[in-house]
Amino acid sequence: MRLYLELAKKSFQNNIVYRADYFASLINAIVLIFVNIAIWKAINEEEGALGGLQLNILITYIVISFLMQTVYQMDEYFIEGKVRTGLISTDLLKPFYFRLFVFSYNVGSMVFKFIMQFIPAMLLSVFLFRLLPPFNTQMLLYFILSAILGYLVLYNINFIVWISSFWFYWTFSLVTIKDAAVMILSGALIPIWFMPTWLIDFIELTPFNAIFYTPILIYLGMMPEDEIFMSIVKQILWIIALFGIGHILWKRATKKLVVQGG
Amino acid sequence: MALIEVDDLVKEYQLNVRHKGLLGSIRSLLIPEYTKKVAVDSISFSIEKGETVGFIGPNGAGKSTTVKMLTGILTPTSGTITVGGLSPYKDRKKNASRIGVVFGQRTQLWWDLPVADTFDLLKYIYKIPDNVFRENMELFSDILGLQEFMKQPVRQLSLGQKMRADIGAALLHNPEIIFFDEPTIGLDVVAKEQIREFVRTVNRERGTTMLFTTHDMLDIEKTCKRMIIIDHGKKIYDGTVEEIKDKYGRSRVLRVEFSEYIADVQLPGAEMIKEEGNKKWFEFQKDQTQVSRLINTLSQKYGIVDITVQEPEIEGVIREIYQGGIDLNETLSGVS
Ligand SMILES: Nc1ncnc2c1ncn2[C@@H]1O[C@H](COP(=O)(O)OP(=O)(O)OP(=O)(O)O)[C@@H](O)[C@H]1O
Ligand SMILES: [Mg+2]
Repeated sequence: MRLYLELAKKSFQNNIVYRADYFASLINAIVLIFVNIAIWKAINEEEGALGGLQLNILITYIVISFLMQTVYQMDEYFIEGKVRTGLISTDLLKPFYFRLFVFSYNVGSMVFKFIMQFIPAMLLSVFLFRLLPPFNTQMLLYFILSAILGYLVLYNINFIVWISSFWFYWTFSLVTIKDAAVMILSGALIPIWFMPTWLIDFIELTPFNAIFYTPILIYLGMMPEDEIFMSIVKQILWIIALFGIGHILWKRATKKLVVQGG
Repeated sequence: MALIEVDDLVKEYQLNVRHKGLLGSIRSLLIPEYTKKVAVDSISFSIEKGETVGFIGPNGAGKSTTVKMLTGILTPTSGTITVGGLSPYKDRKKNASRIGVVFGQRTQLWWDLPVADTFDLLKYIYKIPDNVFRENMELFSDILGLQEFMKQPVRQLSLGQKMRADIGAALLHNPEIIFFDEPTIGLDVVAKEQIREFVRTVNRERGTTMLFTTHDMLDIEKTCKRMIIIDHGKKIYDGTVEEIKDKYGRSRVLRVEFSEYIADVQLPGAEMIKEEGNKKWFEFQKDQTQVSRLINTLSQKYGIVDITVQEPEIEGVIREIYQGGIDLNETLSGVS
């Protein structure tokens, strides 16, 4: 356990080294939020398409969504790089759990982004976009829980994509497709409530809305209390299912590695 | 039982058959075809605790494949391996904590972290006690000169620095056995010597067992007593370095500097192989011609400024073995 804590710490420190990258992604998040809010404002003025929904609720949705996306950004090519260079076998040669190693590495940089990007950007947003506070304290706690689960859902989806590099070697296209699917189906870009019913029905069957949509709805107080419990259970079930798939793929991948030699 | 026992070890790789052209590649995609490539072909050997063994052979002979199987990251197709009583691929994690591995071709240090951080992490990975960690860090700083670049990220290190850091990293947890796969590749003479010295020290002071793969025969001469040669996946020699040198290094070269230019030197029992100004080189077989007789003949007839006898280098012997010039199946005790 100590080892994985150290790993997360090192990964956290590692993020500090790339100062230029830090400011770039902070500015990037703010600009994206700005542009998206401008678009929604324009739509609202042109067509009144928001159907009576308060604009500041929508703005809060957009801000929270983009801030979460910034924090949930992961190193998509970490495993691929190790597979392609063959370094994966030296990592397997160490007496530790490789998957926990990768996870700690990602958690370390997630914590970094949370403290160094989420919090300042959040404070800035309160001031710039008049961000709404969480619906109430209880909802804030549910939001935190659900956001953590959302991270785990995304992590396990990502892990499946990463692990496929054992077979494909280059996963750029796959990562791009995955990113697009997450962007659209998770409600990260457009709140799912604006989508056609058939698409909503489809999204209900996927793990994607468990990433951003569920926690944001809870934050906004737009999910009835009796549904919150079910949504959280659903998140947990998706984590288990996706972890299971990742686990099987991982076993096969290491089998392939030790039989075919990379 | 010996520390490392390898018995009838075989490794076959599966190779995808790729067809040429667009249609061909679509065909390979839809109907994969495989051929087999035997990389290691029933090799057996055993290594005792404290031994230093050079594991050599031409490119593609199967050395790295064997080392990978010994470390547990590759499963054998057939045959058995035991390392300290364990099967490396079945008990990979347990085996891993008792061995150290250095792959010269790729570093096992984490790219973005400073060297010191990698060492810190290794301390936790191998659960190294504080005092052992401190002791080793001191020793490595001394012999390998690690303190020069401890704070630099690994990606900024030169090849030689990376290799030294890698060797330190592999030895940090006091492994019983160390596998080196080309640890001196691409290094300059001084760095090579430093690494050999380190290897010797560790072997002498800790009795660490070592298997050493390299293409530099000087590495073997300076660090290993025993040598295993493989070619095309088969073991062709297993014995002492001395013996192979003795048996096959029978030719000697006599380098003579004359006081004046002599067009034609007659020297029975030796053959001139090179000449340069007043210097001439003669090759002779040490079991057929005595050096003293050659020197006598020369000094009686000509004025001589300088004379030296050159021993054969193991490098030349090995080159001849690889090229098939020496048939090991003669009389050597180590031949299997
Ligand atoms: N993953 C792999 N898949 C298929 N064939 C492989 C694989 N790895 C190695 N080989 C083949 O197995 C044979 C032995 O390779 P190996 O790397 O063990 O040689 P080596 O003795 O280490 O050579 P070198 O001195 O060049 O490092 C070679 O013919 C090589 O092409
Ligand atoms: Mg090799």
